[in-house]
Amino acid sequence: MVKRFKKSLPKINISSQLLHDFFDHIPDVIYFKDRKGKLTFVNKAHAKGLGLEPKQVIGKTDLDIFPKARAARMAQDDEFVMKTGKPIIDKIERATRPDGIDNYVSTTKIPHYDKKGKIIGLFGITRDVTRRVRLEKQREQKFIIEKKIEAQEELKKTKSDFISTISHELRTPLSIIKQLLSLIYDETAGPVNNHQREILVKVNNNLDRLKTTVEKLLDASIIEGKRLRLHYSLASLKDILKDSEEYFQNLAAEKNITLVYHFPKEDIHLFVDVERVLQIISNLLNNAIKFTESNGHITVEVELLEDKVRVGVIDTGIGIAKEDLAKIFEKFVQVVPLEELRAKGVGLGLSIAKELVERHGGEIWVESKLGVGSKFYFTLPRYFTTKVLDRSIKDKIREFLDDNVPVCLINILIVNFEEFKKRIRVGAQKLSQDLKNIITENYEQVFGKVMHQRERFFVTELHGKCTIILPDAGAKEVNRFSEGLKQSIKDYFLKYQINDVFIALGIMSYSATFTEGEAGQAFDNVNVKEIYIGSEMRRSKRINYKTNIQIFLPDETQETCETIDLSWTGVCAVTRKSFKTDEKLNVSLDLLRTKQTLTLPAKIRWIHKMDKLPGESIDYYKIGLEFEDLEIKNRKLLTKELQLNY
Amino acid sequence: MPKKILLVDDEQDLLYGLQMQLEANNYDVVTAANGQEAYDLARRENPDIIILDLMLPKIDGFRVCRMLKFDEKYKKIPVIILTARTQAADKKLGSEVGADCYLTKPFEPKVLLDKVEELLNKGE
Repeated sequence: MVKRFKKSLPKINISSQLLHDFFDHIPDVIYFKDRKGKLTFVNKAHAKGLGLEPKQVIGKTDLDIFPKARAARMAQDDEFVMKTGKPIIDKIERATRPDGIDNYVSTTKIPHYDKKGKIIGLFGITRDVTRRVRLEKQREQKFIIEKKIEAQEELKKTKSDFISTISHELRTPLSIIKQLLSLIYDETAGPVNNHQREILVKVNNNLDRLKTTVEKLLDASIIEGKRLRLHYSLASLKDILKDSEEYFQNLAAEKNITLVYHFPKEDIHLFVDVERVLQIISNLLNNAIKFTESNGHITVEVELLEDKVRVGVIDTGIGIAKEDLAKIFEKFVQVVPLEELRAKGVGLGLSIAKELVERHGGEIWVESKLGVGSKFYFTLPRYFTTKVLDRSIKDKIREFLDDNVPVCLINILIVNFEEFKKRIRVGAQKLSQDLKNIITENYEQVFGKVMHQRERFFVTELHGKCTIILPDAGAKEVNRFSEGLKQSIKDYFLKYQINDVFIALGIMSYSATFTEGEAGQAFDNVNVKEIYIGSEMRRSKRINYKTNIQIFLPDETQETCETIDLSWTGVCAVTRKSFKTDEKLNVSLDLLRTKQTLTLPAKIRWIHKMDKLPGESIDYYKIGLEFEDLEIKNRKLLTKELQLNY
Repeated sequence: MPKKILLVDDEQDLLYGLQMQLEANNYDVVTAANGQEAYDLARRENPDIIILDLMLPKIDGFRVCRMLKFDEKYKKIPVIILTARTQAADKKLGSEVGADCYLTKPFEPKVLLDKVEELLNKGE
């Protein structure tokens, strides 16, 4: 090898050992070809890609070592370089590796001249750029998605305007006819004989029919209008933030900005569209980095609230002027002049973030001071999930594995079980039995009649959690089984008019060769594969509640407002005053049923600036107050009040 | 003394029929056909209850409701929103502007009468 190398490049002044080592260790493919396309030198990476040793490749042509079509393309490029003397630089091509994996390579070919200036061959360098190409593609896709969301936003607005117009035009005359008819029927407008009454009943029946049709028609068009579907899954907020942390750390480092993340100790489970949440965070962080000067600070903080989690992106950037602050989230309203905006590339980022946050049932708001910095906050509803697998199931799986039987596991989690259980007209025991029957039926359809249930599959069901263990089952059958199961459960709930149940269906398989440690880890991470979803999620433990509260601020001013909902940990109200996030204050609250007035210390935890109504100039805010250091007697009082109102 | 109802809708035929029905049930009825008129009448007549349409000329029904509900003097007057807008977002906004009840058109006349009575009793 060394000899040949010396022969082909005799006049180079760098130590040949150094060059030799360089060729041997560089991951790029490097080769020399003569005028006829014969390889006169290849480095280790070149031969390794073909599964050969360099000496097995030297002397061959591309036609000997690559598929015909590819070799022909390469020969064409070689011909071009050697004929014209022009190099080919960074030509991106798709290539299939010998192990069958598709990747992308960048090829550079440079003509090789002899002393007289005659072309005697070429040098080539080929580099694997799969990662780079993928990243570029991802960026393109992200851009396309953002464009799509923008377009959808507009479409949605047009559609919803259209629907409300049509809806008004159909409903209004219908209600007038119905109402006028009732005046005759009730004899408010004079006596009616039996024959006339019979006719009026028929008219009314047909009006009801028309009413139902109109309703159905509108429902369909409203559902169709919701094009942007969220794909919910159970996710950990920490994971979502950590996945993007490196990228933003690099971005911040480039501008010499320090970026710090603050997480609480607990793991935070969310039931969200992960991609979309990532988009919200990215939009906020990109803005923060863009508008913060070097040596500035950005903090990403996560706060756990009662039934929400709050994410704050706090920067020491240029800040936002007071008059612009109000408009910043509004659709199609831009704070900076259009040209300037384009240059900065802000686009619709914030209004998209707002839309996405609100579609998830959260709030988004901003506090800022020109020249000091901005604080962007958003909230997402939180879900309390217990560990997916309990001890008895783990033991059962282990039993099978010890007997060398591979196990497949299907896990069904009804996320909002406690809420809809109250609404469904089925007792808890029957519900549990019904679910078990659905599972058995579907099982038998796929795997055949069950003789000894315990041996073939094993079900536990508790509080909307259901685990099915399938020993020694094939992947195809398991998939068919879970598909059937999904449909049956959905049909079952629809039968009871429950269309907002959230079910996570996870599939996991354990091969018999799992080691103890691996299995232990895998047990807790059931991979959620499929989720289907209803129209709207109801928040837990909160009730609609209308009463007066007085808010006493630290500066001894006070503000009276009316509440919307109440729980024993906090209250939500509408106000005209703009508060500061995490501001500490006292609230006094008139309890309607227990007829008491409670005064409690509280904290502003989230703020939602409400959309302005046409022609309105005053801002209204919905605020979330959380009670602080609640005394036991007050908690008891609140709990009692909630029970009385339920 | 019969209770006074402020009835707001821009559809004359609906005003005509509902007024007749409410009066037949021993209520005093004043009517308004747009938001501005509704707001002025609410302050002048001090009604016991308001039945309010949403899509109104001049001032939107949501705003009329909010203007009254955020005014110490009038916030106690119960407001029933009676509207053809059925979307969940509208219902939510209705509760956020302080309305006491949200009914959608087409409505059962009996249901409206019951609601009026219920809210009037609650206030006492």
